[in-house]
Amino acid sequence: MIRHPVAWGAWTIAALAAAFIDRNPYVQALLLLAVINVYLPYRGRRLASTWKFGLALALVPLLFSAALSRFGRHVLFTLPPIPIIGGRWTLDAVAFGASTGLALLLTVAVFAVLQRTVRSADVVAILPRPLYRAGTTVALALAFAPKTLAAFQAIREARQLRGQRTGWRAAPALLLPLLLTTLERALQYGESLDARGFGSGRRSRYRPFHWTAADLLVVIASLGAIVVIALLPAVAYNPYVDLVPAAPDPDRLLAVALVAVPAVTASLLRVDHARHRA
Amino acid sequence: MWLGAAATAALIAALLAIRPAHAAVHHAALVIQHASGSIVTRCVAFAEEQITGLQLVERSGVQYESQGFGSMGTAMCQLDREPSTVPPGCFGSGPYWQYFHRQGAGWQTSPLGASSSPLHDGDMDGWRYAAGKNQVPSMAAFASVCRAPSPPPAASAARTALTPNPATPVPVATQAPTPRLDALLPSASPSPDAVLTSTGPPTQPPKPTAAAPWLALGSLAILLLTLGAVNLRRRGP
Repeated sequence: MIRHPVAWGAWTIAALAAAFIDRNPYVQALLLLAVINVYLPYRGRRLASTWKFGLALALVPLLFSAALSRFGRHVLFTLPPIPIIGGRWTLDAVAFGASTGLALLLTVAVFAVLQRTVRSADVVAILPRPLYRAGTTVALALAFAPKTLAAFQAIREARQLRGQRTGWRAAPALLLPLLLTTLERALQYGESLDARGFGSGRRSRYRPFHWTAADLLVVIASLGAIVVIALLPAVAYNPYVDLVPAAPDPDRLLAVALVAVPAVTASLLRVDHARHRA
Repeated sequence: MWLGAAATAALIAALLAIRPAHAAVHHAALVIQHASGSIVTRCVAFAEEQITGLQLVERSGVQYESQGFGSMGTAMCQLDREPSTVPPGCFGSGPYWQYFHRQGAGWQTSPLGASSSPLHDGDMDGWRYAAGKNQVPSMAAFASVCRAPSPPPAASAARTALTPNPATPVPVATQAPTPRLDALLPSASPSPDAVLTSTGPPTQPPKPTAAAPWLALGSLAILLLTLGAVNLRRRGP
């Protein structure tokens, strides 16, 4: 089971490098398959929202490229001279937008894996000592945003249950309890930190991380993928020059296979979800 | 089911993607008009299905200096020793090299840079060094630059090699997958500057693209799909 945040960090860098440096659609499709494979053992119950967001994000460059670019030789149809969208709509522009959209979808997928596998507390725990206080502050600040949103939803639902309005005119009535709730939570955080002796002495670890063979394997594979992607140049895919992409280089396929190593280890080892999310 | 679907998809993809390479010798023409009005023409033969406008200039042997501008493509700073020195930042404040494609009987400004403009058999590119927009090069028919489509150079082995223009070095193919420069033969063009370069052995029979990359691609896809099936059976948290 891969638990170490450094292993996941290395994997994230390798996957993002592969997603952004190589735009060959075959490599992108394989990489998406690899990232989905890594995601599957760690998937949660609410997995649809992340992928819906990723797909919506992927459609944006596709639509923009198709609607705004007039370049390319493979014309799909021609619109009358309407401002902005008039003219030739080409398959080349659609392919270019799809390639960019797929890179964005891959980014969302990679961070979805990271979100499921690494807790912010784990990242803070491995920070060097000089960065520990700043890291804790940043982690708490980041944790505040979703909790504030959840508090806002709770207050709104409570008002709805009482038959009160929830439109923008009710904003002052919503903001005041939200402010009080947030201040109360901030005080609780402060008291919790104080009770744990934050900043009073040498840092201790309740549950120290130990490197496992799977962690090391993922780090080595990720570093290998980064080296392959960074040092061996790939033939760039440009749909305006050649719409049909060339067969990917073997080294790119090797990089994708290395990115899929966490999925292989997860399929071989039992995933201990309780321990992982502890 | 997963394996079957993956194998079918990989097979279809491989079959669709395999195309004959080096099946024929194609020709593209290049017209360069200097500020003085002098015109340089070149006919370039190539074995690929298409080349870019920059490759056409490169293979024609005409001296050039270009500068990449990232995703915006490559700009032509100096062509055939004009201007005499490359301006700082590639573009000066005066005339510059304007890039055109031959469309029917006229020239059309290229919407893309030379490195992103594909050229096929029978296409013609034009460059003109001028200030102001739409300063098109002089008209020149493709046939006057390349004449009739030449037979494969190997079929005319009795021809002698053309001495290249002293002002322009011998064309050198620099693209990695391009086959070696086999012949430097005179075109039948009346233009003394016309140079026919051939890339790749013309007598080589058409052969399919190497299947190994596609097999590797298909195998990896099948492996990943199988792995996905295994991981999908595992219950999520």
